[in-house]
Amino acid sequence: MSQWLAKVIDRASTVKDSLSPVRQTALATLSEQSWPTRRTEAWRYTSLHEVAELELQQPSANANAEAPVIAGLNSIDLVFVDAQPVTDIAKLTLPAGVSINALNDADSQASRVFNQAKPSHHLFGLVNDVLAQQGLVVDVAAGAQVEQPIRIVNFVTDGVESHHRVLVNVGDNAKVTVIEHGAGNGHSMNTAYAEYVLGKESKLEHYRFAMHGENAIHMGGSHFKMGESSRLNSTIVGYGSRLTRIDTDVIHAAEHAFAKMNCIYLLAPKEHFDLHTTIEHAKPNGTSEENARGIVGDKAKAVFNGRIHIHRDAQKTLAELNNRNLLLSRGGQINTKPELEIYADDVQCAHGATVAEIAEKELYYLQTRGIPRSQALVMLNFGFVQELVNQMPNKALSEWLQPLLRERFSAMETK
Amino acid sequence: MSEQIDQALARKYDAGFVSEIESDTFPIGLDESVIRRISAMKEEPEWMLQWRLQAFRSWQKMKEPDWAHLGYEKVDYQSISYYSAPKSMKDKPKSLDEVDPELLRTYEKLGIPLHEQEMLAGVAVDAVFDSVSVVTTFRAKLEEAGVIFCPISEAIQKYPELVKKYIGSVVPRSDNFFAALNSAVFTDGSFVYIPKGVRCPMELSTYFRINELNTGQFERTLIVAEEGSHVSYLEGCTAPQRDENQLHAAVVELVALDNAEIKYSTVQNWYPGDENGKGGIYNFVTKRGICETNAKISWTQVETGSAITWKYPSCILRGDNSVGEFYSVALTRGRQQADTGTKMIHLGKNTKSTIISKGISAGNSSNAYRGLVKMGPKADGARNFTECDSLLIGDRCAAHTFPYIESSNPSAIVEHEATTSKVSDDQLFLCQQRGLDTEKAVSMIVNGFCKEVFKELPMEFAVEAGKLLEISLEGSVG
Repeated sequence: MSQWLAKVIDRASTVKDSLSPVRQTALATLSEQSWPTRRTEAWRYTSLHEVAELELQQPSANANAEAPVIAGLNSIDLVFVDAQPVTDIAKLTLPAGVSINALNDADSQASRVFNQAKPSHHLFGLVNDVLAQQGLVVDVAAGAQVEQPIRIVNFVTDGVESHHRVLVNVGDNAKVTVIEHGAGNGHSMNTAYAEYVLGKESKLEHYRFAMHGENAIHMGGSHFKMGESSRLNSTIVGYGSRLTRIDTDVIHAAEHAFAKMNCIYLLAPKEHFDLHTTIEHAKPNGTSEENARGIVGDKAKAVFNGRIHIHRDAQKTLAELNNRNLLLSRGGQINTKPELEIYADDVQCAHGATVAEIAEKELYYLQTRGIPRSQALVMLNFGFVQELVNQMPNKALSEWLQPLLRERFSAMETK
Repeated sequence: MSEQIDQALARKYDAGFVSEIESDTFPIGLDESVIRRISAMKEEPEWMLQWRLQAFRSWQKMKEPDWAHLGYEKVDYQSISYYSAPKSMKDKPKSLDEVDPELLRTYEKLGIPLHEQEMLAGVAVDAVFDSVSVVTTFRAKLEEAGVIFCPISEAIQKYPELVKKYIGSVVPRSDNFFAALNSAVFTDGSFVYIPKGVRCPMELSTYFRINELNTGQFERTLIVAEEGSHVSYLEGCTAPQRDENQLHAAVVELVALDNAEIKYSTVQNWYPGDENGKGGIYNFVTKRGICETNAKISWTQVETGSAITWKYPSCILRGDNSVGEFYSVALTRGRQQADTGTKMIHLGKNTKSTIISKGISAGNSSNAYRGLVKMGPKADGARNFTECDSLLIGDRCAAHTFPYIESSNPSAIVEHEATTSKVSDDQLFLCQQRGLDTEKAVSMIVNGFCKEVFKELPMEFAVEAGKLLEISLEGSVG
């Protein structure tokens, strides 16, 4: 156990609220954890050396920051600074069928969703279980078709350690869009976990933007429990930071669910981005599609681990996973591991992974058409991730994201 | 159909007989004195003994690895015997005519009539029975070409400089738990040396057999191909049917110097245990080759036996333009478990590697591919292509894929593809329409599935491998 984790466990005993009984279980599990080393499979390529001795301040009540604005999105914004609520929920006008409560509000009955979708093996998920006192519980009533996106902004400020939790319950036949927007400045550490329980035939459009700034340490995850015939369309965008680790789990807990997941990461100059995704098919007739694409420049490091697990009963599953990477520089590094674990025979599964640079002949082709080499490089490299950006169902978001990614890409050192 | 599946799964292990040969077997247990005794029996020089003892001391400090996707009862290393030799070996046979006829009959049962092979196949065979090499055929002809092909125990005495220079140079003696154990107690295996510029005039072949009860087989093979030479090496394995698990922990080291080529083919058919998972061989093998400039190492394996397979034949592509290949078919049925794959470590410029892995799981078995492709910072222009496909037969089996890709070079290209499927009803229907019965159709589909690997095997082995698969799959699809 590290010095930092010992302090977490100490502090956990002071947390008292309506979630205390479920937190106790998590605390018991957490106390038995050993601190991961490079020999721990889940942390093989990511060192926690820096976190082990981390000493940052606890959030103060008067923290202040400007939440990033997304033009044309017209979302319901719920802003947190260092996990402390800034938005007054009572003053919001919410669409019909949506109710939002603070996590620590006893009326929120947070334990209905708490740890329903997030498995207990994520170390920092357990830390979040015992320490996250702030956050939200979002309920979308059965049948509600919510067009206005709900955006939850979590801004982390310099020198602070914070823990934030979001719980979303999507009722049967309901439809909703949720955006988890991480932002920040300076050297900070935060854990942010979100859980989604999807009702029968419900639809969830989900986005997670990890943009905490290049000096931040971010540990987080988004976890989905799929109801019968529910549909998930999720996009995760990672900028990378000093250290980012995101775990996602999609659990097909009922038949005929469909999950689509796109992940984009653009990393430079010394950023470290580690994405672990798991898709569990526990019931038959489920479908999942996952596409992860990343560009790594300068001295950045990307880690991708995509696991598809098909249980014995999950016949007629269709599952596909693809991870493509571009490595632009000599100092960069890409480690990828797409895994299949299959216990049912009547399934179709495939995964693929590539690591490469843009082919010289593709560049040549564009150059023969009169496009300067530098521009051709941008076109090809950026086109590689743009395809996934274009697939985002929300146009305001893709229009906001595109120039940001392009700017970031232009700043990357291309050999 | 389930009846047919049951029948197929209950199929007898053809190589499961026990040979009634008197043998000299060490009492069970392992300590330094056992290693000293093995070394003394083999009349080894002092440096070899010291090397073994150092390996043993590091092994004592090591933990048995548990990262593989395997579940088995750990071996009690103090309850097995580390040396067993047929008694008649005391006066070593000078030629085939002097070999114990019972022993020769054993090999015949296994389908390797030494005489016949000598005459017809032109394959030189080094047969390893429990812990010692029985006879090496075709020696004279090889000597003419300057090729050394002999038991490693003999090489240690006759060519100590060569052995000393290369042993442990690819798989260091404390590389991993099983390799360290092997380094301490290895009893026999083959040594091959191909001089500069020589193309070995025939294919070299070894057959391994574990006969004695409660013994482990620890063979060590070392192949050195000098500059510009070429060799093709074949290896086959069987064991008697016993209720106890038996241990096989081998180490194979290949050294391909500049412009050399080594082709290493294995058909492994150790006893897999019965339908309830009782008995069977635990196969923990470390195989690794090192390629210098323009060299090539090609591993081809057909794995149908063993209760547990833990095996990752690897290539270290150190020299520029060197090439590594890995072709594998792994079939598991009953309660067999396999965790196998390869490592391709690209260090030199323009190095290339190809990995084709086909896993077939039936019954209650579990079959995992585990591989690593690593592109070092200096591996400019390196290229890898990996394809691993799994075929599932029946709904109680499992297939897994764990590929690791690590790249630190922007000009290196790595491609990995994997698929999992079953023998589809459409395919079966199509074959049946054309008058094939289900069994033939399945066998044809599976053979087609493995074709890319079989075509890499030398002729005799390709036939054997095809047959092995056919028998193993008899009636196993509905």
